[in-house]
Amino acid sequence: MKRKIICSLLIAAMVMGLCACGSGDGAGGSGSESGGSSAGGYDQVTYAYATFNNIPTEEDLDTVEEAINEITREKINVEVTLKPIFIGDYSSNVSLALQAGEKIDVFQSIGDFNNCVSTGMAMDITELIDTCASESKALVGEEWLRACTSGGKLYGIPTYKPIALTPMIIYRQDVADELGIDMKALNSVEDVTAVLEQIKEEKPEMTPLAPVEAGSLGLNRTYGDVDWLADDYNTPVGVLLGDDMTVVDFYSSDIFKERCELARNWYNNGLVMKDAATTTSMAAELMSSGNYFAYIAAYSYPEEDTAASLQAQSGNFPTGAKMLGDAYLSTIDVNALVWMVASNTDVPEAALRFLNLTFTDEDVCNLLIYGIEGRDYVISEEGYAAYPEGEEAASVPYTAQLSCGTLGNFFIMYPTEGTNKDSLEWELEQNKTAKTSPAMGFTFDASSLKSQYTAVKNVINQYLPGLMCGSVDPETEIPKFVSALNDAGYQEILAAKQEQLDQWIAENK
Amino acid sequence: MAGKVKGKKKSDIHRTLPLLLIALPGIIYLIINNYVPMFGLFLAFKDYNFMKGIFKSDWCGFQNFKFLFATKDALVMTRNTILYNLAFIIIGTAFAIFIAILMCELGKRLRVKLFQASLLLPNLLSWVVIGFVAYAFLNADTGFINKTILEKIGAEPIAWYTYQAAWPIILVLVNLWKNAGYQSIIFMASISGIDQSLYEAAALDGATKIQQIFKITLPMLKPTIITLTLMSIGRIFYSDFGLFYQVPQNSGALYNVTQTIDTYVYRGLMELNDVGMSAAAGFYQSIVGFILVLAANAIVRKLDADNALF
Repeated sequence: MKRKIICSLLIAAMVMGLCACGSGDGAGGSGSESGGSSAGGYDQVTYAYATFNNIPTEEDLDTVEEAINEITREKINVEVTLKPIFIGDYSSNVSLALQAGEKIDVFQSIGDFNNCVSTGMAMDITELIDTCASESKALVGEEWLRACTSGGKLYGIPTYKPIALTPMIIYRQDVADELGIDMKALNSVEDVTAVLEQIKEEKPEMTPLAPVEAGSLGLNRTYGDVDWLADDYNTPVGVLLGDDMTVVDFYSSDIFKERCELARNWYNNGLVMKDAATTTSMAAELMSSGNYFAYIAAYSYPEEDTAASLQAQSGNFPTGAKMLGDAYLSTIDVNALVWMVASNTDVPEAALRFLNLTFTDEDVCNLLIYGIEGRDYVISEEGYAAYPEGEEAASVPYTAQLSCGTLGNFFIMYPTEGTNKDSLEWELEQNKTAKTSPAMGFTFDASSLKSQYTAVKNVINQYLPGLMCGSVDPETEIPKFVSALNDAGYQEILAAKQEQLDQWIAENK
Repeated sequence: MAGKVKGKKKSDIHRTLPLLLIALPGIIYLIINNYVPMFGLFLAFKDYNFMKGIFKSDWCGFQNFKFLFATKDALVMTRNTILYNLAFIIIGTAFAIFIAILMCELGKRLRVKLFQASLLLPNLLSWVVIGFVAYAFLNADTGFINKTILEKIGAEPIAWYTYQAAWPIILVLVNLWKNAGYQSIIFMASISGIDQSLYEAAALDGATKIQQIFKITLPMLKPTIITLTLMSIGRIFYSDFGLFYQVPQNSGALYNVTQTIDTYVYRGLMELNDVGMSAAAGFYQSIVGFILVLAANAIVRKLDADNALF
């Protein structure tokens, strides 16, 4: 706690320092950043977004900002300040900045819609959206917006992007070819066992399966038709199975037991990394080492695109991908990335108008993602964006290319070199046709159950990684797990969920 | 009479002013670092809401403290925190004194400096690095213990990161390796402060080395031991986060023996990001720590008034 307060004091000090600098430069520059509206009469909006690339320098950022401002001044009478924040620091930085009263008008919820709403960070935009962002509303549609509501009020607009995550096995194409394995014949995660055994037999120096991250062999993406009911898929609490509207204890279900037994079987036969439950290495890193054959994860692109985009991160070994099941959409797929207006903003309308542009204006979108054309990227004849000759992501002055699925509207951005334009249609189609949970749009308000949640999550962290990686025996551990959950107040959460769900059904039928 | 007192006071200030000035940076640091943040303690009793801000958020009584005691984890983590800390205090102090005495017996030659430096080295490493050193030993597939030692003697490899029984010993050993060298410095300083004539007199009377250690060195070290122990007891409710989080690689199967209050709070609040509940956890630790220091000091004062802290 001490440290937190010191941090916020320091940040406050730094912010004051920055403001001082800002106003000093302001006289000659493009305008100062403090206050709601500047001398030109434009509303000032600060847009905080997460970047997976390098943070650009102040000057390089200014040119992009100015290019965006040229559009926004004319279209919506707004001037924008861009605030890129590195993804790892994003959530804590935004929440600290808002606590300290720093100006942030638009931000995104990264995986934590409920928390942003229950702590009052996000503004209720139920009415404003019709006047300020009606185009975005029409674009993403009522059903997706419903996933961003809580207690009947709308708190944000979800990023418009491919959301249907399909479980896939990502594997070394060269090894599969060498051993003559037909990966395309795999249709379910059970089929994978035989392949892994063959790899172990013929390539004893390789570990057949890598964990996708610590504590997960990727099996948690292969459960099929399970709606996590607003919980993180890594640590689900109460879920719906299939079309049944009864909230059930996932860890007592058959599908969970089956997957645990599969993992145990793989572990006992030496088909997976032994320390999968505790490793600090991610799948791509392990694959780069060349000692692993495959891993299981879920992606929203077609097989070829997924394989092509992962190859560079996976040590440039020839990479293949094969789907192991179907996508299943539920609320969290939509509201994992929601754009919100800060509750303490002084310019809610302007903020929402700008947000609307990030969903509807191609130029704004491309400026945010790729920066300035010619300097930061070039467009090939076929219409793909690429880095200029001799440049790369780390060397161009501005790029947020890796954030492309998180900012506004993914479908109006230039496609990145190496992907396939036709895939966009496939992805749009998937968004519409993928199997959808009957509780799509239900959000769960957990604010009255905080202590139960903390306790339950601790129990889950204790048992789940070992079970999901096969390092403990499901026969003895699952019953212990379930009884520990019940001690931690699990049933109270399930009951509260059922109650809210019943209410939701009554309101939406 | 009054004037005399006043005059005395004035000269007191004259005398102490330079000293106060020297202490000033330290005092300012203490105020900024340790006293100003105390103002945040009241957040422990608030249902924090961004829209309402720090002062206007609703009061919620002891609601925020509930999660600490919600499950039987409370018992496990309190037990772990206290027992580990007791083990560290007792074994750590004994070991540090042992090292200090050995070092002092070696005299002041170059080799002593060499020993000292190598004993200090682990203390300079961060827990993350030490976590990986431990991992190199304990890794199930390629670790030194499984691959070299157990293989040589023909034993079955052990999955250390799921094997609970070994961890109390592993943690104590790792902690000793990191901290004993550093702790021994303070004892070495105290030992070199002991009057050499005592040893000479004892030697003349025919006392052996062992007798000298038990009859002179240890009794003379008593005030240092008491002060250091008192200070450790004040922190008995805090655990070294790195040791309990990084070294076991956050392995869920080990929570029963590695969960301490700090790791529980961290794990719980990483998920929830709740300001009020973090404040409550900090508050709880400080209050109990404070009471323990007062209690320990009271006991010492009862037994041996000269050595009490206050």
